[in-house]
Amino acid sequence: MKSIRVEQLKYKYPGSDHFVLDDISFAVEKGEFIGIAGENGAGKTTLCYALSGLVPHFFKGGYGGNVFIGDMEVYTHAMSELTARVGLVFENPFSQMTGAKFTVYDEIAFGLENLGVPRGEMHRRIQECMKQLKIEELGDVNPFSLSGGQLQRVAIASVMAMKPDILILDEPTSQLDPQGAEEVFQVVEQLSAQGVTIIMAEQKIEKLAAYSDRIFLMNQGKLIHKGTPAEIFSRDDLDVYGIAPPVYTSAARSLKFRQDPTANLPVVLEEMPTSGLEKFSLPTRHVEVVDVKTAEIVVSDLCFGYEKDAEIIKGIDLELSGKPLAIIGQNGAGKTTFVKLLKALLKPHKGKITVVGVKTTDTTAAKLAAAIGLIFQNPNDQIFKSKVIDEVMFGPLNIGQSPETAEANALKMLDRVGLASKKYENPYDLSLAERKLIAVASILAMDTKVIIFDEPTIGQDAKGKVKLAAIINELYAQGKLVVCILHDMDFVAETFERTVILGDGRVLFHGETRAAFGQEELLRDAGLEQPHITQLAHRMGYPGILLRKSELH
Amino acid sequence: MTKKSMWSLKFSTAALVLIPAAIGINYLGKLFAELLRLPLWLDSIGTVLSSMLAGPIIGALTGIINNIIYGFTASPVSFVYAITSGVIGLVVGIMAYRGWIASIGRALVLGLVVGVIAATVSTPLNILFWGGQTGNIWGDALFATMIAHDLPLWFASFADSLAVDVPDKVATVIIGFLIFRNLPKNLTHMYDRRSEIDRL
Amino acid sequence: MKNGTFYVEKASIVHNVDPLSKLLFVFVSVAITYMLSNQPVVSGVLAFTLLLLLLGKVLHNVLPIIGLSLVLIFSIIVVQGFFHPDRSTVWFTIGSVPIYKEGFSYALLLTLRVLNMVCAFGVLILTTKPDDLVQSLIRKGMSPKIGYVLLSVLQILPQMIAATGKITDAQRARGMETEGGLSTRVKSFIPLLTPVVLNSINDTRDRSIALEIRGFNSTSERTFLHETNHFKYGFVIKILLAASLAAVIAWRIFI
Ligand SMILES: Nc1ncnc2c1ncn2[C@@H]1O[C@H](COP(=O)(O)OP(=O)(O)O)[C@@H](O)[C@H]1O
Ligand SMILES: [Mg+2]
Repeated sequence: MKSIRVEQLKYKYPGSDHFVLDDISFAVEKGEFIGIAGENGAGKTTLCYALSGLVPHFFKGGYGGNVFIGDMEVYTHAMSELTARVGLVFENPFSQMTGAKFTVYDEIAFGLENLGVPRGEMHRRIQECMKQLKIEELGDVNPFSLSGGQLQRVAIASVMAMKPDILILDEPTSQLDPQGAEEVFQVVEQLSAQGVTIIMAEQKIEKLAAYSDRIFLMNQGKLIHKGTPAEIFSRDDLDVYGIAPPVYTSAARSLKFRQDPTANLPVVLEEMPTSGLEKFSLPTRHVEVVDVKTAEIVVSDLCFGYEKDAEIIKGIDLELSGKPLAIIGQNGAGKTTFVKLLKALLKPHKGKITVVGVKTTDTTAAKLAAAIGLIFQNPNDQIFKSKVIDEVMFGPLNIGQSPETAEANALKMLDRVGLASKKYENPYDLSLAERKLIAVASILAMDTKVIIFDEPTIGQDAKGKVKLAAIINELYAQGKLVVCILHDMDFVAETFERTVILGDGRVLFHGETRAAFGQEELLRDAGLEQPHITQLAHRMGYPGILLRKSELH
Repeated sequence: MTKKSMWSLKFSTAALVLIPAAIGINYLGKLFAELLRLPLWLDSIGTVLSSMLAGPIIGALTGIINNIIYGFTASPVSFVYAITSGVIGLVVGIMAYRGWIASIGRALVLGLVVGVIAATVSTPLNILFWGGQTGNIWGDALFATMIAHDLPLWFASFADSLAVDVPDKVATVIIGFLIFRNLPKNLTHMYDRRSEIDRL
Repeated sequence: MKNGTFYVEKASIVHNVDPLSKLLFVFVSVAITYMLSNQPVVSGVLAFTLLLLLLGKVLHNVLPIIGLSLVLIFSIIVVQGFFHPDRSTVWFTIGSVPIYKEGFSYALLLTLRVLNMVCAFGVLILTTKPDDLVQSLIRKGMSPKIGYVLLSVLQILPQMIAATGKITDAQRARGMETEGGLSTRVKSFIPLLTPVVLNSINDTRDRSIALEIRGFNSTSERTFLHETNHFKYGFVIKILLAASLAAVIAWRIFI
């Protein structure tokens, strides 16, 4: 018997008249690993809800077609009957905790208590799952004190303890840093090897290609193509669907590996040759980039700590101006603290910071708002208006732009981030990725000389990242200083020519990005990895540092 | 589609989960009011919102549980006012259902009604437990003046409560109304007790 | 409230009493002080409550809780002391202001009652783990869903409080002032509060989903991970408490 059978599934959310799932049919065998690929808004999450019964039982709305889990029809069974068969883990690690349990052990027990599992059996299952998910040592810890990667593993353990036949993972790593993401992927890989049927939606395409038996490509509520990773990622029209193929596939394409245009391309590192780039040389740039003069930040001997005797920033000297700059470093290296100091949200204990000629100790964050814009990680911490346009105009009006100018600026920036058509919508009716772009627009509209981004790429799909890269380059061309905190090394390599490596409150490196990724030992000490493409070129024998897909020829 | 009554005791998961969130909102309203040194408490915005979203029963539960939790974590005196908070949730829920949050003018009336009812419920509690005061300096000064002029105790105590509750509850209901009106559709849908699955 | 509850982890005889008996104790103790207007008796009840705090090794922990009620107590003393409607017996005079005995004696009674109420709740909240109390209530038939609500507030609240710093930063970064005249401060209230409201209401969707997929609405007979803690003396204490309450009621009615 099939593990999952979906027949002509159609669905629309209540109060909306477009189909978010539009005539979807497929079947999944027991033990298969299915990856779901597609841009934001394609309907991946909604499909995950439909497989776990939340659609229609929790969300209501218009529902057509049939979904079977084993022989159980989703429509005619209650959520509590379905939960024993299908487990769901989703993006936000914090909101998946029930909140009513004070230790990880008790948290995992929550579902078992509800289902009435006998006590002895409960202890057995919890211990088994904690071992499986490598969280044995966390049993007595309060869930809310864990890191994202740990929390996500607790969430998986909590559903696995209920012994479902199928595990559904909806972008389980989209809000995690690389280390946390790696922790989660490792256990997912292991569960799959043990024979659990897994359905995973994910933007990290390289992982999807490596794990999946089959990939479902979704777009605008439709299932465009079901096929092996090689079939799917060898398509020439992936950009139409807003996804980028794995870096190995693009590299193979650039290097013209494929003689027969209908053949499939490699999709994982192991399929790539271990030679061929020994004699490769970087293309010389045709267009000399003109150096633009930008605003300037000077930091000297900066020290800071949240508590006495615990310095987080331990003496930073930096002169920032010119080309956009990426700041990379492990969690806890002090990246966010550093940019908060630049923005005068924190005051240095020692040393000084001059932003476009003003000392940060002589001013307040609100007064500095006209000179330096900071885009925070979580857009939900700032959004409070009921229309997108009003939200974007809030900052400009605060710093004294006239209502007309503010509106003009806001419209321009909404257009820039691709949300002009949604200007009268409620930000919370849009997706998190779109809210993040609203936050970007709301700072850009203030037209500041310096712009700092804190982790802009988290949660964005391929299209969103391309948009962000273009915005960063444009800002530089307008003479603005752009500083960007990032965890996504591929994005750093593609977009930035200068990089600062922070480690333990100090600047470990400041200079050319190519040189930064050449510092193998330093990167290892700072807990960082080289970009995928760099690693690939290295494997293929190139002795230098390759940074961009476009450099391959 | 059947229209379920506002008194339905079958709570949806979403409505139950709204209660802790609303209690948090109550607390943060108070916290920000203190931080900004505003002359009001603004400590029941969450209760008001939960009543508007999920009806009188959830609203009343929010109010009662709010004071119980507050009693456990901040000041035991608040246990006494659990009844008042519950009644506030109840009144807002009923009146919201009957259309008293259709416009800002109506919301203002709702605020006044809630203020007067809150004072009415609090007065016997204040008299019973502490001889009539509220513990608010301005209200208690009024109370002292009135009993010094030999006005009846219940009257002075009621005036004390009115002076304290009415401005605060009017502001609370107006703020709650403004936030409620701007909530996105896809969130308010979750609490809509009337929605059903539409089988295509 | 930041660090959760007032619970103090200690090993004491009071900690070992079952939560429901302590809950009943709070009720009986408060009821007795409000039924009897006899200062020595009320003082006696207060003394007993203090003794329990002492036995529970939490006597000093009750001080900050009393501190929170000081304004109320102060107001009782001033208002009742000076302005009580019964002003016949002059106790003494300060300058030319007469101080009346009735007022002060009433103020003293009220103060004792308030103190006893705060301390009696203190016995409960300082020596009882909230989850133990909720578990006991669920076993006695309270809906597990209400139990969920009670406990989740304690976890969710610190999360929401932690968000306020980030929100303040984010809005200041967009040029919003939080200092200045009353109108500036009033204007910043909505931009500060609304993000938490939206955020937390938005989170309720994820959290409801999390509960649904963990069988929150399951109709099966539920089980408990932890066995009932073996609390002592529960039955005897409840009988004694009920008996004292009955005695006081009888006293009120017949004497
Ligand atoms: N709760 C909801 N109410 C109404 N519309 C929604 C809701 N959640 C998602 N949508 C809409 O459904 C479509 C598909 O979204 P989603 O399933 O989240 O896609 P993905 O996970 O691929 O990003 C989008 O147009 C989105 O706006
Ligand atoms: Mg999604």
